[in-house]
Amino acid sequence: MSKSYYEFFCPVKVVAGSAALEHIPYELNTLSASRPLIVTDKGVRGAGLIDHVLAAFAESGMDVIDIYDDVPPDSSLKVVKDIARVYREKQCDSIIAVGGGSVIDTSKGVNILVSENGNDLSEFSGVGVLKKPLKPFFVIPTTAGTGSEVTMVAVISDPDKGVKMPFTSYFLLPNVAILDARMTLTLPPHITAMTAMDAMTHAIEAYTGMAKNPISDAYATSAIRKIAENLPRVLNKPDDADARLELAQASTMAGIAFSNSMVGLVHSLGHSLGALCHLPHGLCMNLFLPYVLEYNLPERGDVIGELLLYLAGADVYAHTPAHERGKKAVQVIRDMRDELNHRCKLPRTLSETGKITRDQLPKLAQMALDDGSIIFNPVEVDLDDALAVLNRAW
Amino acid sequence: MMQAKRVRVNPFKRPYVVLMMEVIGRSLEAASQVDERIQNEVRPLPDGLMFEMKVMPDGPALVLQKTGATGLKYLGRRPPRKPDVVMKFKHVTHAFLVFSFQEATARAFANDRILLDGEIAYAMKLVRCLNRMESLILPKIIAERALKRYPNLSLPEKMLGGARIYTQVAKNLIRG
Repeated sequence: MSKSYYEFFCPVKVVAGSAALEHIPYELNTLSASRPLIVTDKGVRGAGLIDHVLAAFAESGMDVIDIYDDVPPDSSLKVVKDIARVYREKQCDSIIAVGGGSVIDTSKGVNILVSENGNDLSEFSGVGVLKKPLKPFFVIPTTAGTGSEVTMVAVISDPDKGVKMPFTSYFLLPNVAILDARMTLTLPPHITAMTAMDAMTHAIEAYTGMAKNPISDAYATSAIRKIAENLPRVLNKPDDADARLELAQASTMAGIAFSNSMVGLVHSLGHSLGALCHLPHGLCMNLFLPYVLEYNLPERGDVIGELLLYLAGADVYAHTPAHERGKKAVQVIRDMRDELNHRCKLPRTLSETGKITRDQLPKLAQMALDDGSIIFNPVEVDLDDALAVLNRAW
Repeated sequence: MMQAKRVRVNPFKRPYVVLMMEVIGRSLEAASQVDERIQNEVRPLPDGLMFEMKVMPDGPALVLQKTGATGLKYLGRRPPRKPDVVMKFKHVTHAFLVFSFQEATARAFANDRILLDGEIAYAMKLVRCLNRMESLILPKIIAERALKRYPNLSLPEKMLGGARIYTQVAKNLIRG
């Protein structure tokens, strides 16, 4: 008997589709909550997205108690404490995060403080420190990429100490994730493309990584198909609500997949590049994805080849000999990136970013080796290997 | 109330894990004294960093601390303070699978057998130290089971590297 083993866990209720926002008051009510605090950022509020949420509350008999809209791009300890103060002063009983990764991570930090009645977030940093459920927590993603609405981690920076504090707990998972096309309809094309490639990378690394399992595979392959089919539709017609919803669902599905199967070398390199050059995470994923797949191809060609079906459809898959499917899958991703570069100027190589010099590559390779995701890459990576991938991505 | 039925367990499993914790702790200490690649991994770690590998909840353990510029000192089975980085096996069986080379360390991570607490970057360096040490001291046929990829080591490099670590372990034991 095989000694393989896996775990899969996702207790987040997904509320998705037409008029999904209007389900929030009911969902809060089922959790005995009625005084929500909305946490968001200036960009989301400026784009008018909070108005959709407020409209959903307007006829429900439930009010939003307050809106905190000053979350910065990098979530920080100070902001978390500030929001926790507002939550307590206004006697809120639940949190609704409306935004991308930073807003969601910040809200998770706030939920720790207000639920544990604490003031020092660092006391709760680490794995499994939280031992009981937190306050009702809803997430409305406004990008289709991070998958943070279904992950049990948060990273909050402490600028005074110059460290990033990780938090990992089942209790950080939101109670409800709301996917409503209205919330991503106005996302500009280049951000749509970057975040979609982030979700694509989550799904592909989950499917090809060491910790893959049958249940996360199902989520990953569905997500890949949805992104491959609907990203071109959205770029052709940005107000296509159906295609937007498909991308939002794909992002959540990819999030479920990678939070159970982890990610690999694309993320190790991407986290390092993001930290060193302050490039958006989705862009970093887009940069490294085909080069890492090529690195993994000799040992993982069969698994990568299976993805051709979801990336290019049944006809291409059937017409490609089995031993060539891995290479073909990588070629499809390269073609996709060329198209995104043509339409949105999304860089495909390190040199195209204009943000990094070649003499920084050894440092980048060393940083990637210290990233936790590297252990889940299906093929071992040493310093020379990482540097070789970076040179190919140059 | 029905009494929980007594079941037979492998009587060698726990003592074996205890022994292997000791062997790994002492071998890593010795390897950090003689192997340049391990020293290069240890050098960037903060002074005094304490690392614990343990079986949950309170099972066999090993504790190492960075001393000097590149050294790791084996402190025994109990940490004198809260360690900075902790690698926790969820069950003694999971540690046994890894220490009996039925499951590679990376596979154990992928199979959710191990929890990591503390700064991940430091943990990754220590995992690489462990991999390097195993590649030198274990016979190739066993090291291939313990590692994701067996490194490209020449026979003299492996023999000499392994011998230096074994000798250093002996010296450290004699010195106490």
